[in-house]
Amino acid sequence: MISNSLEQTKKLAHDFAATLRGGDVVFLEGDLGAGKTSFVQGVLEALGYTEPVRSPTFSILNTYPIANHPTMARVIHLDFYRFETPKEVQSLGLEEMMQDTKNIFLIEWPEKGIESASPIRYTKRIQFRTMDEQTRDITIS
Amino acid sequence: MRILGIESSCDETAMALVSENEGGIVIEKSLVASQIDLHKIYGGVVPEVAAREHVSAIFPMLLEMGISRDGHEIDAIAVTAGPGLVAALRIGVELAKTLAWMWNKPLVAANHLEGHVYSVWGQGSKSERVMECKSEGKGKFFDFINKQKKVFLPSLNHSITQPLCLPPQFPALCLLVSGGHTELFLMRDHGQYELIGMTRDDAAGEAFDKVAKLLGLGYPGGPAISKIALEGNPNAIAFPRPMIESGDSDFSFSGLKTAVRVYLEAHPEASVADVAASFQQAVVEILTIKTLAAVNQFSPKSVILSGGVSANRALRDLLSSELTKQFPDVTFHAPDLSLSGDNAAMIAIAGLFRAKQKDFTDPLSLEAQPNLRLV
Repeated sequence: MISNSLEQTKKLAHDFAATLRGGDVVFLEGDLGAGKTSFVQGVLEALGYTEPVRSPTFSILNTYPIANHPTMARVIHLDFYRFETPKEVQSLGLEEMMQDTKNIFLIEWPEKGIESASPIRYTKRIQFRTMDEQTRDITIS
Repeated sequence: MRILGIESSCDETAMALVSENEGGIVIEKSLVASQIDLHKIYGGVVPEVAAREHVSAIFPMLLEMGISRDGHEIDAIAVTAGPGLVAALRIGVELAKTLAWMWNKPLVAANHLEGHVYSVWGQGSKSERVMECKSEGKGKFFDFINKQKKVFLPSLNHSITQPLCLPPQFPALCLLVSGGHTELFLMRDHGQYELIGMTRDDAAGEAFDKVAKLLGLGYPGGPAISKIALEGNPNAIAFPRPMIESGDSDFSFSGLKTAVRVYLEAHPEASVADVAASFQQAVVEILTIKTLAAVNQFSPKSVILSGGVSANRALRDLLSSELTKQFPDVTFHAPDLSLSGDNAAMIAIAGLFRAKQKDFTDPLSLEAQPNLRLV
């Protein structure tokens, strides 16, 4: 899908949010500035989270409580941008958090933290490609 | 009153002794062991590495503080409870709880962001904060220091921008800029904050780090960009000033980062110095214009610039000169450069003001709070 603006990206995120169920693990892949965090902001907006949603690059992990949803209780927004070796992800206790099926995970830069040998698998994957300053090619699979 | 401050929220392990007497606040001792050199290898802070390094530094550092075994010279302990990386925060928090329990001293759960604000109260204190790196010393702390080749040697020079060193007056408008935060709030009194605006996406320091990486410069990105920007033309490239006319006090730096990336792709031969200088100019102008608009709106008596990015010379210069020009009655306060980064003196100072109000926490139940907010 082609998005020509931040608004369109957020609209795509709104539609995507409706398909999410507790336990989902979403990989968001794309370069710096491709719109991953904006997409996550759109998803949280659609799930009724009204407080600001900011980049987790510095904090690595941000948790957002979701009210009034049949299958999810919280969104865990992760960013592995700063990781150089996938073993750094072990300190987060991600697999433990994934036991709780009311959690959903939105993971930016998953390739920097999750190896192919890792038991962690995505249930949904979104790829962002920058066409020009405003335009993004967004593939959801 | 004498406070022991402990800080381990990110990649600095720090301890400080701060006391207050009739003359004001005295930073008696301030130690910081930085992991910056280590994280340079990774291009950023890695939680697991950070926590491991805090563990190996914190007890040798406690010994180096020279506090007696019964802690009798300490009146209270202040520790950063959050925000920060949870694995890193826990190291300092657990040590502080143990000491408070063992010594039977009151414990203050300090907010890291409040600590940054209070760093300006340490401005020009009659300080003997001399950190000596005794390289012949034994123990892991010294190994750690030697390995990192980075020791914090606080300068005793007072900031050029604040020759009088009077404390800020309330209400004070605080601009807090760091790797994880970009926020404007109004401080009506000690411990009383009102959030006025914040970044809607990336923090300013994060934008510096990411643009530095795009430009192939090192970590941390702020100092790397500032250094090369000195050789560049800040007006060479007209990068956008996002949110400059949004009418509120919020910020956005994500689009600016993207603009730099798109520009670099279109101009692979661009001068790194010009891109760095033009990017820095954009960030500094956004921060200055938004802060001055808030000064106009809220009429504070003082403006406090703090957080790691407050070390940026271009930001200090533009904000202080524009403030003096447009609002000559409003005083400008920025921390001594030795206190702009993470340190424990600021935590101890913030803790001192909390302790005076008997704002203590139970040492048995305190937990690290990675998402702790100021307001």
